[in-house]
Amino acid sequence: MPRLNRKSITLAIVLAVLALLPFWVGNRYQLHIAALIGIYWVLIGGLNLVAGYAGPISVGHVGLLSVGAYTFAIVAGTHGVHPGLALVLAGAVGGLCGLLLGLPSLRLPGFYFAMSTLACSLIIGELALAKQNLTGGGVGIAVPGFPAPFHTPEGMYWLVLILGCAVTWLTWNVARRMWGRALIAVRDSVVAAQVVGVPVLRVKLTVFVFSGVTAGVAGALFGSLQSYITPDTFVFEMGLFFFVCIIVGGRGGIVGPLIGTAVLTMLPELAAPLARLGNCLYGVLMLLVVLLVPEGIGRLFETLMFRLRGTRPVSMPVKPDLARLEAAIKGRRLVQ
Amino acid sequence: MTLRLIAFSLVLTVAGAASGKDKEPIRIGWLSSLTGPQSTSAIAENKGVEFAVEEINKAGGINGRPLQLVTRDTVSDPKTAVNFAKQLIFEEKVALIIGPVNSGESLATIPVVAKEGVPNIIIGTVDELVDADKYPRAFRPINTNRQWIEAANEYALKVLKRKKIAVLGDTTGYGTSTAKAATAALEKEGIKPVYTALIDQNKTDLTDELKKAKDAGADVVMPWSGNTGFMARVVNARGDMGWNVPIVGHPTVMAAPLRKLVNKPAYLDNIFAAGYSSMTYDDKGHLPKATKELQEKIRPKLGGGEIDYSFWWVALGYDTVKLAEHAIRAAGGTDPAALQKALENTKNFAGVYATYAYGPKERNGFPDKNIVINQANSFKDGVYRAAPR
Amino acid sequence: MLTVLISGLASGALFAAAALVYNVMFSTSKVLGVQTGQTAMLGGVFGAWFIRTFHFPIPLALLGSIFVGGVFGFLTDLIAVRRVLNRSDEHLWLLSTLAFATITQQVVALLWGTEPLPFPRVVPQDFSAGLLDQKYWLPILTALALAAGIELFYRRTLYGKLFLAMSEDPFAARARGVPTDRIRALSYVISGAMGGLAGFMAGQLTFAYFAVGITLSLNGFIALAVGGLGSNTGALVGGAALGILSAGASYFIGGEYQNTVSVGLLMVVLLLKPAGLFGAQVARPV
Repeated sequence: MPRLNRKSITLAIVLAVLALLPFWVGNRYQLHIAALIGIYWVLIGGLNLVAGYAGPISVGHVGLLSVGAYTFAIVAGTHGVHPGLALVLAGAVGGLCGLLLGLPSLRLPGFYFAMSTLACSLIIGELALAKQNLTGGGVGIAVPGFPAPFHTPEGMYWLVLILGCAVTWLTWNVARRMWGRALIAVRDSVVAAQVVGVPVLRVKLTVFVFSGVTAGVAGALFGSLQSYITPDTFVFEMGLFFFVCIIVGGRGGIVGPLIGTAVLTMLPELAAPLARLGNCLYGVLMLLVVLLVPEGIGRLFETLMFRLRGTRPVSMPVKPDLARLEAAIKGRRLVQ
Repeated sequence: MTLRLIAFSLVLTVAGAASGKDKEPIRIGWLSSLTGPQSTSAIAENKGVEFAVEEINKAGGINGRPLQLVTRDTVSDPKTAVNFAKQLIFEEKVALIIGPVNSGESLATIPVVAKEGVPNIIIGTVDELVDADKYPRAFRPINTNRQWIEAANEYALKVLKRKKIAVLGDTTGYGTSTAKAATAALEKEGIKPVYTALIDQNKTDLTDELKKAKDAGADVVMPWSGNTGFMARVVNARGDMGWNVPIVGHPTVMAAPLRKLVNKPAYLDNIFAAGYSSMTYDDKGHLPKATKELQEKIRPKLGGGEIDYSFWWVALGYDTVKLAEHAIRAAGGTDPAALQKALENTKNFAGVYATYAYGPKERNGFPDKNIVINQANSFKDGVYRAAPR
Repeated sequence: MLTVLISGLASGALFAAAALVYNVMFSTSKVLGVQTGQTAMLGGVFGAWFIRTFHFPIPLALLGSIFVGGVFGFLTDLIAVRRVLNRSDEHLWLLSTLAFATITQQVVALLWGTEPLPFPRVVPQDFSAGLLDQKYWLPILTALALAAGIELFYRRTLYGKLFLAMSEDPFAARARGVPTDRIRALSYVISGAMGGLAGFMAGQLTFAYFAVGITLSLNGFIALAVGGLGSNTGALVGGAALGILSAGASYFIGGEYQNTVSVGLLMVVLLLKPAGLFGAQVARPV
């Protein structure tokens, strides 16, 4: 029987609010943005394990997103396969690409790994443009939607919500258990982790492949939401955007990057009426966030929660238990 | 007494509500890529759009209702364009949407807008954008890629009597698809290009490619790209090599900003590009009346002096709003189905940029005969002279 | 064939210059700033502006571009790097420099428009010079001069030696009384000036165009990685390799595969020798 403590009640409320979002949100445009945030989160949730926990910076996940989107479009659209199956296939292909990319590159130190992910996304972009027969080339390709009950905007949102929750639950479990600690160990000090016996390369590769799978799934959903994709859609800036969401949200957490994703996706929409100045403002805001809240919004949130919870930090004085220590020493001597 | 009071107030309320509805502004969404690369055309079109809205409102609006323009900057990004399209439809509740400006974004937004049944006046040129069955409420006033390509091919093959074509494109979505369409159009005429190349638009020097074209025996170069820097490098490479073949291609090759980028003004000789009869001045320097009128009306808004960019952008922007106005007047309101019918029945709407005609199955309104080939080095005040035949 | 080589070297020279800029910035701050490409962009844009609008003579415009680059470098350190370096998260500077680069690019676009603007001739020369045209040789000579200059700086001047000291062990340097903050600011000013100079000299290749920055940051980074972080010879070789490979791929295979081939080949180099061609295998204390 799960404990009915504050945490699970909060979680239940949050889930209920999210599930009912289509009903309390203002209009379909806001629903679209909510679904988009969810889709980005599916990718970023997986990427979070890589960049947020394990450490390697990947700025090329946009390439895996486009692989997922094109796979879905070609398999479900051109070849008429059932979209659910195509979704799984997109995830599989994303994971495969993650494996192909990760296997050689994860051995490289941080900057070089980032660059190889970047190079990968550039190459995928070029191939999408060049292989016109497969991908439609410059003109792009239409992406089918999902069958009932996910064919309405509300349905699409719920599909995204389900997948987003699945990814969140998976990553949260990983983070809490030994794996999560292993990842953080790898991030903070590779050598110490190796010394303790963490199979570093295998750990990194596993989470990277996982992030490839989530990216592929996110890509399929993304393509379906957009309903039409061209190579222009998957620009390098998007890869940076995903990474930025994690940093702004705060590495090493899950709630943080989630909030980061939501904020950064909504930012251009809020700046929209400014037209020409909007983009400049986006850069200014990003700079401000980095300078003023460098630990990430997640930390801010955590501090707030901590304050609100009102728990006083318990001071635990450390006093040596001299009697027991003596006995232990005496005991040892006896054994020896 | 009370009954009369109630009746009176009822009448007032109804009248008030009715007149309130009458005075309710007509909201038009405008998706433009005002920042980001190649925004010069978007900014020029924006001037035309804003001027038309201002002009209509000064004349009292449409049946007393003022026009309200809701502009969104899509930054040339298809995702942003889709987001803003939905914002315009659902949050701003516009009656119709003009734009986006680039084909890349249009490919993404047109299905989205069509799904909601909102009328869409599109200004991207890629042929696939328009489909009377799939997107019944998307109407296009700008010409299509096919019209540009056919006019250019006709000039190169029939007038200049060239047979060995070099087709160049850039590696953007637009460049690749247009270059391939141009090659296909040539092959339909029985001509296989002697050299085709797709070149990254950031490549800083195109001497290699032009040399290859020369070695392949090309006697005319046909570049298809919307990128000014790319076109400038093609022109410069040809000139620096001293290779005297004509260049016939996309309007960008005669665009005003390019004139400043060529190494020598003489390099602009022997360049011809697809243009418009409405934007062509005759041997006496006279423009069509409608074009001249718009030029003079809008000149103060464009800075007052000589217009140093292609005027057709401004005229196109102006015409999109006038077309919308025409449709709203003919439909007697902003009901989407009525707007669709009104546009379908448009047979002869005289804009500045062209005279448009649509039909129940026809969504491209620009007439073939309004495309001409202009001479690049005849640029003056935003317009050109026709190329010699 | 020769054209491919020369034009590849010319564009590669600009990449090499960017890699050199990265090296100088990295030496004192361990930061690889994304705004590196913008220094060259500003050099080109301002240089063209000085000459066209204010009719500066060429040498004065060149000095102006160098000055602008230096100021930009100083601002980068002040705004994007200084505060961030004190924080625990090591990769925050990626974000701050990226934000700074974006802002710069957008401001330039707002002020000068988004069309490429012409860059005038630096040395009077006819345009029919073919492969001897200055637009090829100016960047190549500049890159070589910059590399030589930096090496001289490191070896012969006190400040250069301070840079080296800081790059090897900042704590020890500080313990010896080196004002690390000021030295870092100086290194950014110098790297910015270098970028401005390179951008000015390469202006005839790139035109004065606001979007030059990001692609140059990318390509400069690739050149840096291939040549080896911290090595100036490596920067030159890496830039040349990338430039020639790109031009070659575009010429022989086609522009659609340009990135695939050139970047793919470089990936292979990295896999075989992760530290880059001339990079030093640094032994880290654990």
